Amino acid sequence: MEFLVVSVLNGVVHGLLLFMVSAGLTLIFGMMGVLNFAHAWFYMLGAYVGFTLTRSVGFWWGLIAAPLIVGGCGVLIERYMLRRVHPYGHTHELLLTFGLAFIIEELIKLFYGDFPVNYAMPAYMKFAAFTLYETNYPFYRLFMGMVAIVMFAVLYVLLTRTRVGIIVRAATYRPVMVEALGHNLPVVFMSVFAAGAALAGLAGAVAGAFFPTGPNMAVDFGTLVFVVVVVGGLGSLEGALVASLMIGLFISFSVGLNWSLSDLFTLVGLGPWAREVGGLFTLQLSTVAASMPFLLMLLVLLIRPAGLFGDRQ
Amino acid sequence: MTRSRPLGLLVLAALLLALPLVLTPNLVNAAIKMMIAALFALSFSLAMGQAGMLSFGHSAYYCLGAFATLHLMRAVEHNLVAWPTPLMPLAGAAAGFVCGLGFGWLATQRTGVYFAMVTLALAELLFTLAPTWIGVFGGESGISTMRMNSWSINFGSDTAVYYLTLAWVVGSTWCLWAFTRTPMGRLALAIRDNEHRVRFLGFNTHGAKTLIFALSTMFTGVAGALLAIANEATNYTVFSAQASANVVLQTFIGGAGTFFGPALGAAVMTFFARVTSDLTRSWLLYQGLIFVIVMLFVPDGIGGLISVHARRLRATAVKHLTVPYLLWLVVGVLLAVGLVFVVESVHVVLSDPYAVLRRANGGALVPYRLMGHEFDPRSPWTWAIPAALIVAGAALLPLARRLTIKGWGQALNESTA
Repeated sequence: MEFLVVSVLNGVVHGLLLFMVSAGLTLIFGMMGVLNFAHAWFYMLGAYVGFTLTRSVGFWWGLIAAPLIVGGCGVLIERYMLRRVHPYGHTHELLLTFGLAFIIEELIKLFYGDFPVNYAMPAYMKFAAFTLYETNYPFYRLFMGMVAIVMFAVLYVLLTRTRVGIIVRAATYRPVMVEALGHNLPVVFMSVFAAGAALAGLAGAVAGAFFPTGPNMAVDFGTLVFVVVVVGGLGSLEGALVASLMIGLFISFSVGLNWSLSDLFTLVGLGPWAREVGGLFTLQLSTVAASMPFLLMLLVLLIRPAGLFGDRQ
Repeated sequence: MTRSRPLGLLVLAALLLALPLVLTPNLVNAAIKMMIAALFALSFSLAMGQAGMLSFGHSAYYCLGAFATLHLMRAVEHNLVAWPTPLMPLAGAAAGFVCGLGFGWLATQRTGVYFAMVTLALAELLFTLAPTWIGVFGGESGISTMRMNSWSINFGSDTAVYYLTLAWVVGSTWCLWAFTRTPMGRLALAIRDNEHRVRFLGFNTHGAKTLIFALSTMFTGVAGALLAIANEATNYTVFSAQASANVVLQTFIGGAGTFFGPALGAAVMTFFARVTSDLTRSWLLYQGLIFVIVMLFVPDGIGGLISVHARRLRATAVKHLTVPYLLWLVVGVLLAVGLVFVVESVHVVLSDPYAVLRRANGGALVPYRLMGHEFDPRSPWTWAIPAALIVAGAALLPLARRLTIKGWGQALNESTA
């Protein structure tokens, strides 16, 4: 029971964190058709901005400034780089962001070194929110979850209940018509890209204080974010939320379970045979936990490429 | 142009044959790695450049080819089977082809970004599974073996490996080039340009794409096998996204639209990596910068640039372009020198040894050493001069662009007149 409750809590919080990063990615893809490879690197940039400002002015300033600064970088990248290669097609845009990811990572290594930095939350936030079966549950995990939920609510209201949201959603489906109606499409694109980058930056500043902040955090996160976006459906915000929660829960459960394929065979009476064969059959779920998200992504891509909530191929 | 091509190829072949006689062992090794990278990029570009399939998981087949070859080499070493060393890459080719058929059949059901995602997922799946599958991939440490002598050739030396690699790379390159001339190769181009239409014409595009993908991975497997023979060992890290990323970078720097561009890009970037990684720790930053600059300003890559000049201009028309290109050279040098100086200085000033030096001097910013010279970080000149170089380079950029456009206009006029 204890394992179940703690795993669910951790999984939900991890999932919400994944959602914060993938929300921007899915919005950008849905709108511009650009799969932003550098997105997880924006997340890392946010964490380092948060770290730098926490050291100089304070944690909360870092939390406010990180999305602004990373969003600003997003504006510059969209305006002066992506727009330039747009005529050459989506492949070139994808490759450009891929190169930018390299540059961001190396610049961070240049200024902060190859090892994780000591980015920590302020001392007054380091307390246990409640005690579960003699385990103290840190308040900061709840805080991260809260930030993500507030973010989802704001985004949802913005996209579905305001004029800005109408224009953004319309531009996703009929960009030419939106432009013909007198809206400045390049500015809409730029704002969406900047907003997506800012969300990733905020996620980085919030999560970096709890998880290790180092030059590897983007690579570890990057492919997982793709999995979320693909499984949820490229371009779908609700899909991203559901897929994030699913994958977060899955990861938090699988690291604690020692199931293997041979246990599955035991159910039909083939257990001893499977254990004898060994190899893949006796690999435990906890050791292959890292591969499972990719298997899920592969299945979704092959069976239903539009994803859980997507509406196009 | 067409008449000089066979002659050019002959000169290149003679040069490649003579190289080990003049190079140091270290450089022979570098040449082997460059040729392997070139073959990897060529095979990748069969899928990307010819058929328009952007694969983010080609390292999987590279690695599988390497492991298949190593297992065969180990079997030979333990006298389980008899197989001559020069034919070892066939194991890599077989592994690459079979896996490419299976995975390609899955992946080519999707196109564009979705195709890229499937290949990425497959490669990541293998990458995460490999360290736990010790029987095949040897766990974290990987597997290693020895090259056996065969056909009375001693494979202990790098020179023999060089000629083995050269033979396989040249043979594979010829096959890949010949493939573009076959009806199947033309079909690949048609699929890239308009798949719908090809399907309407009655072709089985899924089957064709699967086969093209499998051929691409087959030669990737050969490249992996050659790497295994050269290194006599490998481990699962070759599966990592880094290797897939590298081949994408190299292919696009070289130019994915041309046949030899990717090979050129791969050879140049491998050599660049080898040289700069000894000199500076920021070499990946420079590699990324080069890639982004190529993407922004030369979207067709180096190969595209060369072929545009060769196809559209007469030799005499080049004189209109001398001044603008010299100006580009000046701009490039100004920007590069300024940028490299700033990056390297930052690197030294923020490094741990310098921090120790500062603490020893009571926290003062003491002069640092870079490229055999002393620089004072407090002096405004240390930062003003590179900044001025960068500003000057950036200021000359619009002028260089204007002159190039003008020069091209004149050169084209003369070529068509």
